[in-house]
Amino acid sequence: MNFDLLLNGFANILQPSVLILVFLGVTGGIMVGSLPGLTATMGIALLIPFTFGMPIESSMAMLLGIFSGAIYGGSISAILIRTPGTPAAAATLLDGYPLTLRGEAGRALSMSVFSSFVGGFTGALIMTFLSPQISKLALEFGPAEYFALSIFGLSIIISVSGGSILKGLIAGVFGLLIATVGLDPISAYPRFTFGIMDLFEGPSFIPTLIGLFALAEVFKGVENIVTQPKIESKITQLLPSRADIKISAKTIIKSSIMGTFIGAIPGAGSDIAAFVGYGEAKRTSKHPEEFGKGAIEGIAAAEASNNACTGGAMIPLLSLGVPGDAVTAVLLGAFIMQGLRPGPLLYRDHLDVVYSVFASMMVANVVMFIVGTFGVKFFAKVITINRNILLPVIFLLSLVGAYSMRNSMFDVGLAIGFGVLGYFLQRFEFPVSPILLALILGPMAEGNLRRALVISKGSMDIFFMRPISAILLLAAVISIATSVIKQRKLDEKMKMSE
Amino acid sequence: MLKRLMSVGLMLVLMLSLLAGCGKSVTDKGTNENAESAANFPEKGITAICPWSAGGGTDTVLRGLTQATEKELGQTITVANQTGGGGAIGHAAIISAPNDGYTVGMITFELNSLPPQGLVPFTSADLDPLLRVNMDAAAVTVKADAPYNTMDEFIEYAKAHPAELNIGNSGAGAVWHIAAGLLAEQADVEFSYVPFEGAAPAITALVGGHIDAVSVSAAEVQGQVQAGDLKILGVMSDERLELFPDVPTMKEQGYAVSFGTWRGIAIPTGTPESIKTILAEAFKKGLESEEFVAYAKNSGLVVAYQNSDDFKAFIATNAEEVATVMKSLGLAAK
Repeated sequence: MNFDLLLNGFANILQPSVLILVFLGVTGGIMVGSLPGLTATMGIALLIPFTFGMPIESSMAMLLGIFSGAIYGGSISAILIRTPGTPAAAATLLDGYPLTLRGEAGRALSMSVFSSFVGGFTGALIMTFLSPQISKLALEFGPAEYFALSIFGLSIIISVSGGSILKGLIAGVFGLLIATVGLDPISAYPRFTFGIMDLFEGPSFIPTLIGLFALAEVFKGVENIVTQPKIESKITQLLPSRADIKISAKTIIKSSIMGTFIGAIPGAGSDIAAFVGYGEAKRTSKHPEEFGKGAIEGIAAAEASNNACTGGAMIPLLSLGVPGDAVTAVLLGAFIMQGLRPGPLLYRDHLDVVYSVFASMMVANVVMFIVGTFGVKFFAKVITINRNILLPVIFLLSLVGAYSMRNSMFDVGLAIGFGVLGYFLQRFEFPVSPILLALILGPMAEGNLRRALVISKGSMDIFFMRPISAILLLAAVISIATSVIKQRKLDEKMKMSE
Repeated sequence: MLKRLMSVGLMLVLMLSLLAGCGKSVTDKGTNENAESAANFPEKGITAICPWSAGGGTDTVLRGLTQATEKELGQTITVANQTGGGGAIGHAAIISAPNDGYTVGMITFELNSLPPQGLVPFTSADLDPLLRVNMDAAAVTVKADAPYNTMDEFIEYAKAHPAELNIGNSGAGAVWHIAAGLLAEQADVEFSYVPFEGAAPAITALVGGHIDAVSVSAAEVQGQVQAGDLKILGVMSDERLELFPDVPTMKEQGYAVSFGTWRGIAIPTGTPESIKTILAEAFKKGLESEEFVAYAKNSGLVVAYQNSDDFKAFIATNAEEVATVMKSLGLAAK
């Protein structure tokens, strides 16, 4: 830790010209993040060519601004219109949208920006002070550990199942089945592709997400487009109330730390972090029955966790030269284009750059907090728009979003198909989030299970003899057991009160 | 009222589609007969199809190259990422694009590894290669503290422990998987192949000691090698790499393998010869521009220019080689 260099880093960033770039980056990131189909990865990839001419400190400051802004921005549309702008916000809508329906969009949004800030800043701090130590831990993760992690992640399906665990499991298994579509990860054998090239990599994730959430919600909205009264949203304050912060404080801190660690594991991104944070918050909550119906801690958990993940994902990038997620993979390219190669050598030869990245990350989070807080009033106006105007706009944006991921009409059809499916799932009270979780974790579980077995020459011992893998598998069992027991008690309580 | 509106609408759609049909046949005729129109080529912006996603290796190379080439052509070149199917979607899009010179595309090694799997309805013969841009040779990289220092020692170990060495690569049937297979065939040993989702996770797994070696390109392991975590035993190129002048080639060590991934620019077949020449010259100048050379150097890219005819012959030879190895690896369609 070198405080002189850190101060130097801050001095580099806190210049008007650089601050303007950070500000632009954050604002642009929030916009990109809040639109379904435009992800943080895309925003950064498209902007990188314009940062060629800038010094590395300024370009990183701007790109990290986009990163932080986009991961927060995804929650805005998740809360207001039940459409996760980025996959990372898929856990936020579970409680965010019910709050909006109750007329408390402002409360949800201000909690989102607050917990995003705390999470993001915590991630940045951990990254600044503990990068070398944490990156050693990340290297311990081999295929066996990734498999165990994804099983642990899948155990959260129970937490996001809503009323019926059985329906949640049905949805989860359905998601796992969809995840098997495409060329299999170890021998490239086509499964359920029907010879359609577009399906070789499985149904594309973002269009599926857009269909299951955004389009399904539009179809549902059409049912009562004329009759439904406008949702009133009263915004009394820009910051979350003291009471809300008090309830969520523990959750936010826990989520921030977990999110950073999950981000630091290469290949596990902010979407997984958000769900793990949410699942943990619900599992340890005193009133888990409120989760999914508008619990403010639900938003806090998911948002703190996914923004903390941004700092975490930078850890292996800077200290090992391996990207922590899709966004940092693109950032790796940005470094290389500037003639710098992240990794141990960056620490040895360009420590000043490393520290200005630390400083940028913190400044970007502060700027995100300011822009986000003042934006709350403005964002919340969205739902006061007349529904017969709002719904067609969401519909159109969703289709454009589905198209733009790969410039593909096939994906538009895919989104509509999943939209119809999502509509009927909602109709019959099946939770949709388990499908999503299975789509994220299914391929990770399968690929790593088989990879681990190739390495161990077929022996299952590899999963139980390695400490991290064994601990994660045990954690999965405990998580499932306690969640089921809790749900049982809840059901009994419900029966008693009836 | 509604019915009338609908019928008017349908009429409009019909007329538009007819017009579109006419337009297409007119331009087709124009490009094939009317060679002098090439004098003004290009009159509008050009689209460059990238079969891989924005921000990836191929995308950044293409964006760098098109930026430099735009200046030569005096028109903008817009990169369109049409991804999916392990590159199949993008390659198919280049093949079926209008052959008026306004659509070009970047083709990659996968053009040769997709057809043997029997999954795609095209082969490399369905496109007109314009020029080769770069070639990155495969390398065998192991942990810095591994007990072997030369290819001979590595192969000896593999012979003594058949199918025990876990060699990581960037994906099942992907270029580095085939590279390792080729080496195994030449050296008459058996490896166990571990496909990851991209080169980066494979390299991370090697640094973490979860596998024994990777067969990805030297450029991709550059950072970890320079940091002293990994060492390269040999590269599969004809000559030593500028990046690692001390690392011997496979041939020097007695294994006749020269293999790597490549990228190039191609156009749909039937593009008029005069337009092809203009494009080829512009891209060549772009490739040689100071801007692109500097970029290539920074990213460890080995620029390997070949003109249209040489590139075509190269692709054909490469296709045969790839098909043979894939068959012996069990990756080709039966």
